Amino acid sequence: MSELHWLSAVEAAQAITARKLSPVELTAALLARIERLDPKLHAFIRLDAEAAMATAKAAEAEIAAGRPRGPLHGVPVGIKDIIDVAGLPTTCHSKVLIDRVAAADAVCVSRLRGAGAIVLGKLSTHEFAIGGPSFDLPWPPARNPWNPDHHPGGSSSGSGAGIAAGLFPLALGSDTGGSVRNPASACGIVGLKPTYGLVSRRGVFPLSFTLDHVGPLTRTVADNALLLDTIAGHDSLDPGSAAATAADYAGALEGGVRGLRIGFIRHFHETDLPADPEVAAGLENVARELRGLGAEIRNVSLPSLGEFGAVNRIILQSEAWAIHGPWLRERPGDYGQLSRRRLMAGAFISGSDYVQAQRRRLEMIAAVEAALREVDVLMCASAMDPASRIEDAAETERTYPRQARTPFNVTGHPALAMMAGLSAKGLPLSVQFVGRYFAEATVFQVARAWERAAGTDRKRPPIG
Amino acid sequence: MGPQRGVPMDKQMLELLARRARLDKALAEFPEDVAAAAAQAESAVARMKAPTDPRAEPWPPMRVGSGL
Repeated sequence: MSELHWLSAVEAAQAITARKLSPVELTAALLARIERLDPKLHAFIRLDAEAAMATAKAAEAEIAAGRPRGPLHGVPVGIKDIIDVAGLPTTCHSKVLIDRVAAADAVCVSRLRGAGAIVLGKLSTHEFAIGGPSFDLPWPPARNPWNPDHHPGGSSSGSGAGIAAGLFPLALGSDTGGSVRNPASACGIVGLKPTYGLVSRRGVFPLSFTLDHVGPLTRTVADNALLLDTIAGHDSLDPGSAAATAADYAGALEGGVRGLRIGFIRHFHETDLPADPEVAAGLENVARELRGLGAEIRNVSLPSLGEFGAVNRIILQSEAWAIHGPWLRERPGDYGQLSRRRLMAGAFISGSDYVQAQRRRLEMIAAVEAALREVDVLMCASAMDPASRIEDAAETERTYPRQARTPFNVTGHPALAMMAGLSAKGLPLSVQFVGRYFAEATVFQVARAWERAAGTDRKRPPIG
Repeated sequence: MGPQRGVPMDKQMLELLARRARLDKALAEFPEDVAAAAAQAESAVARMKAPTDPRAEPWPPMRVGSGL
C-alpha cells in the first residue's frame, strides 16, 4: 500500500479492519512524515511519538486477537493544544500555561480513545484560541502546506496545517469565531463547527462559554462525519451540552442534492465585505454546480456581517475577560501582543452591552431560523480572501476579520467550510454550508455532493 | 462600566477605565495595547444595534435548565 499518509481515515480504518494495514505501519509512516515536514510547518507543539507507537502496538495486538475497539481503531489523530490529553501539558500555545499538565482526557479525547484512535500529540493554535499568527510566543506559528510563506488560518492552525500536509487524517479543533472553519478554508480541507452543545466542551480550555464549539477537521467529508459520529453526544457534566441525541452522520452522505433548497447569502461577500474576485467566482461556481446536480438555489438575506461580528466580539471578549482578567492584571507580559490586545478588550465592555448583545443574538437566531424554514441549507462565503503571507502582519490584520463565519457562532447553527477551488497562485478558496440545528447530516450531504463533483478530496498541496 | 455609547474615549477616560479594571500593570508596561483593546471594544459596541423591543430576551435563555 503506497502513500499511507494520504489515506483517509475511512480508508485506513477499513484496511486495518481487513488486516491489510497495521496500525504500527501507519503510525510509523506518519511519524516519519512529521519528522520530515514539521520542522517547516510547525503543526505540532508536542509530538508524543513514544506513546503513539505504544498505542499502535496495543491496537495491533487487540485487532489480531479479534477484539476491535471501535470505528477508529488504529487511526491516528492530532489534538489542538487547548484540549486536555491526560499526562500532557495543555499550554494553549502560551507562556501563561506552559507547565499545566492535564490530569484527565477531555470528553472528546476520551471518546476518540474509546473508538480506538491513536493520539499523536498536541497541535499549534493561536494563543488561547484568539488573535492570529504570532512570533512572540514560546512556539512558532504553524504554516500553510500549500505555501509555507502563507498562514494556515486559525486558531486551530496546527490542525489545519497537519491535515492538509498529510501528517494525520483526523484532528480536533475549537471554533468560537470561526477557528475550525478558518484553517479549513485556508488549507483546503473540511472543517465543521457542529450545532452548539452537540460536542462536549468538558476538558477544553474555554475562550467564550456561550460561543465555544469543538469540531472535526479532516481531508474528506466522510472522515468528518465519521469523526463527528465518534465525538458527538450528550455530556451531563457540560452545562452547555444539548439533550439532543447524536445522529448517524456517516450514513446519509451520498444522498445528493436533487430537490434540496439551498439559500445563497450573496450579500455577505458582495456588499457586506466585498470578496476577492477569485473567491466570488469560486462561490458562483459552487452554486452553479449544485444547481446542475438538481438543487434549487435561492437568494437569502440575513443581518449584515458587521452586525454579526459586533455581537460576536462583545460576547466573546466579555466572557474571555472573565477568564483572563486575573492573569492580565498580574502578568500581562506573559501574553503575546495580539492576544493581550484582544483579551483586554473585555475590560472596556459594560455589563449592559454584554446583555444587549445576548438579546440582539436571539433576534439574529430568529432571522436565521426564519431563513431555514424556507430552505434546507444555507451557503455563503467563509474567507473573503486567500491566506495572506504569514509575515505580512498588516495584510493578515486586514484580511483575518474579512470572513462570514462568526454569524453561526452567534446563532449556534452547524456550519462547514471546505475547498471551493484554488486561486491562480495555488492557494485554497473556500465555501461554507450551514444547516438547521442538529441537521449536520444534511450539511454533510451537500458538502459531499460538491466534493464528489469537484474532486476537492483529491487535491494535494505541493509539499511532497 | 464601559465607555458610554457614542462618546469617543479620550486618554483620561481610557486610563480611568483601565485602572477601574485593575489593569495598572498593563497600563504601565503596554499602554499601546491597552489603548488598542479599548478601541476594539468601543468599535464593537458602536456597531451593535441594540434591540428596540423591551421584551426582547437574551440567548442563552435565563431560565432553569435540566443541568440544575
